[in-house]
Amino acid sequence: MRKQMSTWLVLVTILALVVMPLFSQGAADKKASEGTTVIELWYGAAMTEAGPPPEDWVGFQIIKDKLNIDLKITALPSSEGDQDVKIQAAAAANNLPDLFMVRREVLARLVPQGLVAPVDDLYAKMPVRTANHYDEVSRRNAMFNGKSYGLSDPGAIIKNEGLLIRKDWLDNLGLAVPTTIEELFTVMRAFTFNDPDRNGKHDTWGYGSFEEIGSYEGWPGRRLQPIFGAFGAEGTWDMTEANAGLSVFKDGFYDAMVYLKRMVDEGVIDPNWMSYKKDDFRAAWKQGRFGIMREQNAAYAAQSNYAPFDQNFPDGQWIIIDPPKGPKGHASVGPYTANFRVYAISAKAAQAGKKDKIAELLEWMASDEGYYLLGWGVEGVNYTLDANGIPVAAGVPDPDYSFTGPKGQVVTQLRNMVFYNGDVELYARYPTYTTAVSKKQMSALDVLREMQTKKWTPAVGSNTLPTPNADLKRFYEQSLSEFITGKRTLNRANWNAWLEEFRKLGGQAWNDAGVASMKENNLLN
Amino acid sequence: MRKKKQVSAIAASTKGDKVFDFLVNLFLVFMLVVIAVPMWSTITLSFRPNAYIGSNLQGMFLAPWKWSTAAYRALLGNDGFLMAFKNSFKILIGGVATSLFLTIPLAYVLSIQSLPGRRYLTILIIIPYIFNVGLIPTYLLVTKLGLIDKIMAVFLPGAVSTYNTLIMRSFFEGIPNELKESARIDGASEIRILVMIILPLSKAIIMTIGLFYGVGFWNDFFRAMLYLNSNKLQPLPILLRNILMASGMNEFVEISAFGDAPIEAIKAASVFMSAIPMIVAYPFIQKYFTKGTLLGSVKG
Repeated sequence: MRKQMSTWLVLVTILALVVMPLFSQGAADKKASEGTTVIELWYGAAMTEAGPPPEDWVGFQIIKDKLNIDLKITALPSSEGDQDVKIQAAAAANNLPDLFMVRREVLARLVPQGLVAPVDDLYAKMPVRTANHYDEVSRRNAMFNGKSYGLSDPGAIIKNEGLLIRKDWLDNLGLAVPTTIEELFTVMRAFTFNDPDRNGKHDTWGYGSFEEIGSYEGWPGRRLQPIFGAFGAEGTWDMTEANAGLSVFKDGFYDAMVYLKRMVDEGVIDPNWMSYKKDDFRAAWKQGRFGIMREQNAAYAAQSNYAPFDQNFPDGQWIIIDPPKGPKGHASVGPYTANFRVYAISAKAAQAGKKDKIAELLEWMASDEGYYLLGWGVEGVNYTLDANGIPVAAGVPDPDYSFTGPKGQVVTQLRNMVFYNGDVELYARYPTYTTAVSKKQMSALDVLREMQTKKWTPAVGSNTLPTPNADLKRFYEQSLSEFITGKRTLNRANWNAWLEEFRKLGGQAWNDAGVASMKENNLLN
Repeated sequence: MRKKKQVSAIAASTKGDKVFDFLVNLFLVFMLVVIAVPMWSTITLSFRPNAYIGSNLQGMFLAPWKWSTAAYRALLGNDGFLMAFKNSFKILIGGVATSLFLTIPLAYVLSIQSLPGRRYLTILIIIPYIFNVGLIPTYLLVTKLGLIDKIMAVFLPGAVSTYNTLIMRSFFEGIPNELKESARIDGASEIRILVMIILPLSKAIIMTIGLFYGVGFWNDFFRAMLYLNSNKLQPLPILLRNILMASGMNEFVEISAFGDAPIEAIKAASVFMSAIPMIVAYPFIQKYFTKGTLLGSVKG
């Protein structure tokens, strides 16, 4: 008995001793060699679902050899909410990394706690990067109390969506491209009731949408902005000097609501629009459910995204049209703002004298060497240059290692730190291709360029304006939905009564805070 | 005689009983459908070729010979996925072993009726169960212990669950005291009693609690997200979350991390594959499961 028990105990102890080192496996030793500065970077991965750069990535060695920096990188979680939690937990433990990507809202909380360092002095130390990445608007983006606490790098491309219409359906029905909001309604009605796809079934609708609501594209969200734009009520905020304030208080907003209600009542909008999620919406247009929509350039025209539509409708054709003009001649695809990825430097790093090294690192990233290495990898391994000097995946010895291949793309995970939406990136990102079935020439870049020529409403900084509390937001969005679904009767008297109630519940205070912020930050147009 | 009794029992079932049985069966069939349909939908979606993405009913009735294994090939060919799988297994094995290693002695000690201050010790254990210390103090503790960016950080802070400890304690209390008494009379120490007598009789509860812990560690996203910084340590739930969040990915790039496989199929395949270890393990543990839970819970 005793022998058995002793054997058990010895076995458990041995197992614990053997196994524990395995589970205490962790990050590499952060001690730097003589004279080398360790910089810990938490970055936003370009493709979160792909792996990180391998440990023997050539970039680490180049950075060490040229800059004497030992770079330790960590990909932040994919969702912004998780990123915030991770950063705030680290902040609470005074354990922030040296350089980290952070949302402006979180940064605003870190600044008063003294956990991040000002970066104003770094711009002059990074002339190339500053010229390409940071303009006045971007510097203002992370400015608190007159000091810039974050390097705001260019984010997603602006004005990259457009109003699209099924040209083949217009042709089938002998209709012209609509230019006014009433012509648009006529087309929507025809798309719904006149069997534009000639399949003998009532399975099409005029307009397709879903509720994609953001801070500056309030209810009913981004996809219906061209409708609201026709009435001069696009976006959450009107940022003009003369009419600054919440769009919901404008007369045009009521007119847009009446128009939208008409769309719903007459059944010319896909009836699932209030329940669709983004994927459903995208699956729906690929199935040919509707003929008018606002869509993003690559989500529409990138090869993999267009392929199902091409397969289903080889003769189908979407074209980008001007946003329709409203009764007063107003038209807009929607509001646009500037998007940034903010990188902040922890106060701890600044105290350790790492700011200059960080500037050196960022400036190197902006050099040709850093730009191409982080953007596309190693020439001849991950990319080749075409006749125009654009990096392309073709011609590399092993396609798996091209920057578009499964093994190659991990070396470009830091590309968002060097990209600034320059021509080289866009040509490389959106190559021209021939569709598989219909053999059409497509280019998401051409689509983007065309979308950007359409009429948009400037609303730079609108995404930084105060947001309502959760109760007010719910009341605002739910009530507007109820007007459209018929739970509330939409007429002028009811509308005015609702506006009054909205003001009292905090809508007026929200409006006033927003206007004050616009003035304070010089955001009015 | 027995046959007669059975016949009379059947004859005794009233119309009301039959209706009740029918309703119970109907409810169970309904529950089966509620569980099976999403599962089937996920499986078929994971096998759906690009051409059928966006088709009606999510392609649930697509003939198997039209299925594509592109998503699975892409996942299995992805180094990140395999690395995440490996890390998840480390967390699973390390977590379950540590948790059982700590929970069993604790539960046993609490089950000893004659233990001085047993009641206060139990209350002491229950207090943090009711009043959670919160995120920041836990993070600070993990930092101070030097566990940041160590796989142990994922399972050590939650290694002992009060709930599981109490279930196990109840189970141990149900083992006849005479067995322990006779061992004590023979001169066995408490450790020997635990190892030689209690544990061999407690397979059911150990498997059950092990399963509870295992499922928890296998699915734990939050601690891994919070405490692990190195990309090479990221477990499956993190990768899974990243894949599921990649919905808008194609808006910005022409490329996918998984080659030509459709992202919807990749998402479904990754969900299914991450569930496979639990699906495989469950039938083997199931026979202990009901017994362990019931025996542990009826005693109080």
